[in-house]
Amino acid sequence: MLKFEKRENIPLHLRILIPLISILLGVLIGGIAVMFSQVNPLTVYKAIFIGAFGSTYVFSETIVVAIPLLLISVGLILVFKMNYWNIGAYGQYIMGAIFSTYFALNSAETISRPILLMVMCIAGMVGGALWALIPAALKAYWKVNEVIATLLLNYIALYILQFLMYGPWRNPRSFGFPLTKIFDLNAQLPKLISHTRIHLGLIFGIIAAIIIWIIIKKTKFGYEIRVIGENEIAARYAGINIAKNIILAMVISGGLAGLAGMAQISGIIHMLQIEINPDYGYTAIIVAWLSGLNSLTAMIVSFFLGGLFAGASQIQMTMKVPIGIVGLIESSILFFLLGGAILTNYKLNYKGRKII
Amino acid sequence: MGEIVLQAKNISKHFPGVLANDHINFDLRKGEIHTLLGENGAGKTTLMNILDGIYYPDEGEIYLNGKKVDIRSPFEATKNGIGMIHQHFMLVDTLTVLENVVLGLESQGFYLDKKNISEKIAEISKNYNLDINPYAKIWQLSVGEQQRVEIIKTLFRGVKILIMDEPTAVLTPQEADSLFKILRRMIKEDKSIIFISHKLDEVMKISDRITVLRKGKLVGTVDKKEINQKELAKMMVGREVLFRLDRNPIRRKGEVLKIEDLETHNDKGIKILKGVNFSIHGGEIFGLAGVSGNGQKELAEVIVGLRRAIAGKVYIKGEEVTNLCPKAITKEGTNYIPPDRLKVGLVPNLSTVENAILRRYDREPISRGIFLNYEEAAKYTRELIKQFNIMVPRENVPVKFLSGGNLQKLILAREIREEPALLIAVHPSRGLDVGATEFIRKKLLEERDQGVAILLISEDLEELLMISDRIGVIYEGEIVGMVDIDSANINEIGLMMAGVHKNPLLKGEENVKV
Amino acid sequence: MRPDAYAITIILLAATVESGTILLFPIIGEILTERSGILNLGIEGMMIIGALVGFATAFITGQIYWAFFMGMLAGGLASLIHAFISITLRGNQVVSGLALSIFGLGVTNFYGQEFVNLQLAHTVPQVIIPGLSQIPFFGSILFKQDYMVYLSYILVIITWFILFKTKTGIQLRAVGQNAQAADAMGVNVYKVRYFWTFFGGLMAGAGGAYLTLNCAPFWLDGITAGRGWVAIALVIFARWNPPYALIGAYLFGAINALQFQLQSMGTTIPSALLSMQPYFLTFILIIVATLLVKAKHIGVPKELGIPYAREEK
Repeated sequence: MLKFEKRENIPLHLRILIPLISILLGVLIGGIAVMFSQVNPLTVYKAIFIGAFGSTYVFSETIVVAIPLLLISVGLILVFKMNYWNIGAYGQYIMGAIFSTYFALNSAETISRPILLMVMCIAGMVGGALWALIPAALKAYWKVNEVIATLLLNYIALYILQFLMYGPWRNPRSFGFPLTKIFDLNAQLPKLISHTRIHLGLIFGIIAAIIIWIIIKKTKFGYEIRVIGENEIAARYAGINIAKNIILAMVISGGLAGLAGMAQISGIIHMLQIEINPDYGYTAIIVAWLSGLNSLTAMIVSFFLGGLFAGASQIQMTMKVPIGIVGLIESSILFFLLGGAILTNYKLNYKGRKII
Repeated sequence: MGEIVLQAKNISKHFPGVLANDHINFDLRKGEIHTLLGENGAGKTTLMNILDGIYYPDEGEIYLNGKKVDIRSPFEATKNGIGMIHQHFMLVDTLTVLENVVLGLESQGFYLDKKNISEKIAEISKNYNLDINPYAKIWQLSVGEQQRVEIIKTLFRGVKILIMDEPTAVLTPQEADSLFKILRRMIKEDKSIIFISHKLDEVMKISDRITVLRKGKLVGTVDKKEINQKELAKMMVGREVLFRLDRNPIRRKGEVLKIEDLETHNDKGIKILKGVNFSIHGGEIFGLAGVSGNGQKELAEVIVGLRRAIAGKVYIKGEEVTNLCPKAITKEGTNYIPPDRLKVGLVPNLSTVENAILRRYDREPISRGIFLNYEEAAKYTRELIKQFNIMVPRENVPVKFLSGGNLQKLILAREIREEPALLIAVHPSRGLDVGATEFIRKKLLEERDQGVAILLISEDLEELLMISDRIGVIYEGEIVGMVDIDSANINEIGLMMAGVHKNPLLKGEENVKV
Repeated sequence: MRPDAYAITIILLAATVESGTILLFPIIGEILTERSGILNLGIEGMMIIGALVGFATAFITGQIYWAFFMGMLAGGLASLIHAFISITLRGNQVVSGLALSIFGLGVTNFYGQEFVNLQLAHTVPQVIIPGLSQIPFFGSILFKQDYMVYLSYILVIITWFILFKTKTGIQLRAVGQNAQAADAMGVNVYKVRYFWTFFGGLMAGAGGAYLTLNCAPFWLDGITAGRGWVAIALVIFARWNPPYALIGAYLFGAINALQFQLQSMGTTIPSALLSMQPYFLTFILIIVATLLVKAKHIGVPKELGIPYAREEK
């Protein structure tokens, strides 16, 4: 008989091993899935690897994907620590992009570049933060389920974007395509490294990761968040203002997602369009979880999942392997990670003998 | 007395870090009430959970009517004629009595024949004088009624052996007496009863035989007729027991807490406090007695700001604090030892340090601007640990790995260190062993001598009588009686707890000698 | 009422029922899953898997009912991943459900590539119920539908009956409300939870299959377009009671049918704003429902999302 027995302490090696093994198994499942569509999985993975890390340019593209993942996921880590499930980074990202685009379209000629970029950053954060504020306030004051509220707001944000792109913001000279005009250079985030698309957003991401780490580990705000997340009743007992914390953490989380949206259109796409990769908002959930809700680890995980995405985008074009493979692998990793978590709390016995 | 119906041989069971049962032998005869006596943590409940199939023993065998059985679940236990009534009732409170009775029964068809079942319940009810409406929802019933539902459940299943885990803990003395009548009626019908308890007087009253456990080991089995209460106590604790705590004469100071016509709702939105009035002075322990579910928990929550009052007022040192937020009320000098340690008082997954600073993380020196000063926090924690003799493996170990006694000491230390004017303690010694219980009670008395006003809410009458200066009785959301400790009489209090007697000296202050 | 307005109303309401049925299946399924204490946020994923499997089966075999069954089964199988993680391994149900949704979207994108933009030759045939369909007004709306719609009517009644009138229902509610008590009474908590989680998966698969077999008989990436999330929202609106699910599903269906109608009539309202309406409506509904549930103290199944383990000490 297989039996689980409660552990008295949590061994460190398991905390590292479980994520690593989960990644391996997730990749294995992806490989099996690929085999079913009559492609050699080894070839596919080799191509993904080369497509992600094989040259300086693709390497830089991996980082380009990692930037928004990092920005969003560190914000998610903050609210997840509180047991608040912000699934709305998708919509907050879109809102960040929309808000900052307003200034890119209307103020590019009148404001100097550093100031305009600063304004756009703030606008992006405000856009994301406002969009996060709605479900946060609904949860804080009326206990409206945040998973559903944030998800529905994602769809609403997407249709707002569509409305703008097919309506007022469509560039009259785009031949009917739903695009704005290309941003003025003033409204483009500067590149960090020439001949790549790596932009200033990388610095934002790293700073954000460090700040979030400090908030969680060193500040009273972070302490309150952890108490709320671990035991909300005890938090009320200790007199912690839960509503205030939910709102504040969500504003930060949404603000970072909004900043990611701004960085993407200002640093990469250079215009607003319908496809601005808001799906990063969902992938970032996986990053947050895979990094064990540690924002410094999230830097590595963003890079890893960025590579998976960048590599898979490559093979989608070259080998006609659909991009869905990314979601498939990511979710499989997550499944193993969630299932494997039981081993950090329980020992596994087989007929009375200890296995793990 | 009849032949042996159940025999447990050499039962051992360990949990991480504890050997809960160490080679225990136990037998039960037909038509007897056999008490299992022992302190909290002696392993009584574990042994019974093994007989009921909730746990599976690591070692040992169980024989039913001489035949070896292998009981893997409560369901199989029931099939073998064994039924257990737990301390926390196994009732689903949103379902009706009838639905709870048939839950898990195999003999019923897919469709519920409610008429047939309710007739059968009524028959059992009448036979044993249980008086229960089968269509009532569980949450609408009193605790005593819920216990009777549990009894109906076992009788409905034709149980021959009934295990009751501390059934009187939640009852008034009078309710306990009527329970004993039901039990006596049951053994007359050749059923056998295992009765778990740590209350010596009732054990002497109800048992035929008594088996004593201590720290997971069997001390011995004795016939009731061949032993007295004192010897039994010695067997249970392993040393002579002090039944009294030394107590200094009361030095009552100014009024600290004053409650006026307080009303509130419970979680289901039903009015549970219906105009409560009392006050507590500095330097006194005010014990609040009552059967659980009469509004005690809600009263404590309203005072500390965790629940909204819908009418009435709460004053602390003359300041009105009604419906202020918990933090503001704490600032007024109120501290609170909640009934549920790991659910309310502590954060199980955080470390000792992080739990110790729960009350003062936002005050200097632990607070430093927006940051937490972890060095100061650790220093403060070490002080608490030393002062209150708390056993902690390492400061950064999650507190969920600490024992109950140490958890309670940690909470007590944290709350007392705030130097409150008013300390509210709800079931402070529930589930603790003798040593920890004594420690907690002594600390409460010390605080009283320091001039703190203490509201002690407990279901343990013995505890209330031991350390209170004055006892109030709450029944259905009202204070129905108030007695000074010198004139307190356990029977009278019991009757008040059952709502039978009302003390004429109400509206609080008349019987307080300042 | 002018005759053409009358006809349009009937068409609209009939479309409401069709559109609502896509949601009714998963809502009913999730109600029972949640009643057993398991929160499955993977509806979107299970629905889209059901949608693809149903579509592909119909496209290849031409057997509509067989396709519906296969879609349903695929949803059920997908739910077992969530069941295993949250019941046996006691994992985090919120994240596991999200992962299931991501999984469903990924897997259907991956294997659905070759079906993109293909159309079904035949959709679900209409089955007119003699007698009932003759009832003025309602007959044409409710009883000139297809077998799946009729199945959904029956399911509402059956699930309500099971939930409140049978032993199975008592077990189901007990497990979601107080698993420990149910266990002590000999109810196999794990079995009950597995079964109803699987049932929820079947229903999500059914909803997805009905979408591609009837309402949108072609395959597109992400064709469920968030309906799974709407279903979860409407479970709260339905207060975990199947008959109320009918109201929620048809409300959504009505808004959906109306905005389609307006779009096809060439209104001047931007289509993005019209498409937004069902989601917006659901968003408002969920706020109202939450406030109502709070005011009337109708609780969520008490142990929703909490894993059960017996030997805890």
